[in-house]
Amino acid sequence: MIRLELYQRGLLDLLKKRGATPDDPYLRCVAKSQALVIVREIAVWWRVFQIETQCRFTSCLLKHLRCFNEVVTSYFNSNQTSPFVEELSRDFLSSLRTHDLQLIRTVAEFEYALLEVRAGCAEHFEIVWDRHPDLLFQALDKEDELPAPEAECVYRMRIDRELPEMITCTRETLVKGDLQN
Amino acid sequence: MASVDPKSSPNSPPALATTYEGDDIALLERIVPLIDNIEISPDAIARSEAKRACLRPEVLDEYAAVAKCVQFIAHGIGLSIGSFDRWEEGYLHLLDELFDRFELEWHSEHLACTVVAGENVGTMFPLPRTEEALDLVCERIRLIQERYRVPFLLEHVIHLLPDAPAQFTPAGFLNAITSRTGCGLILDAYNLECDAFNQGLDIMEFLAELDLGAVRELHLAGGVQYNGFHLDIHSSRTSNRTFILALDIIKRAPGLRVVTFEFLKEAIMLLGHDGICDELKRIRQAIK
Repeated sequence: MIRLELYQRGLLDLLKKRGATPDDPYLRCVAKSQALVIVREIAVWWRVFQIETQCRFTSCLLKHLRCFNEVVTSYFNSNQTSPFVEELSRDFLSSLRTHDLQLIRTVAEFEYALLEVRAGCAEHFEIVWDRHPDLLFQALDKEDELPAPEAECVYRMRIDRELPEMITCTRETLVKGDLQN
Repeated sequence: MASVDPKSSPNSPPALATTYEGDDIALLERIVPLIDNIEISPDAIARSEAKRACLRPEVLDEYAAVAKCVQFIAHGIGLSIGSFDRWEEGYLHLLDELFDRFELEWHSEHLACTVVAGENVGTMFPLPRTEEALDLVCERIRLIQERYRVPFLLEHVIHLLPDAPAQFTPAGFLNAITSRTGCGLILDAYNLECDAFNQGLDIMEFLAELDLGAVRELHLAGGVQYNGFHLDIHSSRTSNRTFILALDIIKRAPGLRVVTFEFLKEAIMLLGHDGICDELKRIRQAIK
């Protein structure tokens, strides 16, 4: 009989595509099964669903870039995921801080800040956009083409629960020599 | 020990329950006149604050507003009673909070593992039907029965992955748990159909072997077929086939007290308030 610890650790590794092919004959059988593919899909589907509801703009952007499922799957496989949507969302958005694309980093940073402040965080956050954020949100909402970055300016957004509307944003013209990331 | 001791007479029809997870007062107002019990899933009405889970007070207030009209039962998802190392203590804190606020007729959990070595798996792993798993689960049931002086029930979960080598049949494993601990069972008619479809479970053989006297609650739900598998996503009304099986179980389970129609909060848009109410009326008509 398979020991409980081996069984559960083995199934978790298979679910999250970790480690080498198992030695145990039962786990090898699971590894080859179509059912494992379904179980993985269901587990990721739930995370996708939760992230979509909590991280609306990040999800829209990742979908626009045709990488949403891939990013969530990779996140699920590489991280411990919380069953609580608040923690899952914040952890997921935090994980995108190191994403290669700056726009993904910025949108994720914005939604993270918004979740934190709405949850009562006293800290304030500053997000710098390379394009008009409202136009970006509208485009994501309508699934339109995204506005292009604006070379001559940045939009500095402050998110703070002490602000009357929680968010302010100012446009700053760049002078020659200013650095943009 | 709080064991299963049905108070209702053998001839009285089972009560009707349904799930309600908050934030939809219009639905709550419509379902309350149709049901006897609300099934509360502590995990589903919890939120995490500073890494600690707590029940959402606004949802508790919704329940409190109808407490004179219905009774409550709790049905957990996240206890992870079958984890090899430890169960989820955080779930028990949620349950404590619920018990502090409401009188619960009983509470229940899935016979499964949702956390492995501290990591949430994002799904439910069924337990291998072994002596080792049996010992572990029975000891934890004993602790639960000591902690909460109302009956505790376990629900079998569907098996999608290939069945692990076992020392018990599916019914034999449940019988061993109930006879050792005195805990009750929830039978889920749709889960049985999923197992029949996905794993070749012989439902009639299963029911013939199972000690149906331990069954206190019956779950009804509808799911979906996906890539050749039946999935227990509570997203639709009960199929006629499931209904027929449920009626057969009702006839054969002498201690059955409640029939619960389960649906996901996320499925309310699909089912509609009218659809949910029609389903509750249909079930009530069939079980009375």
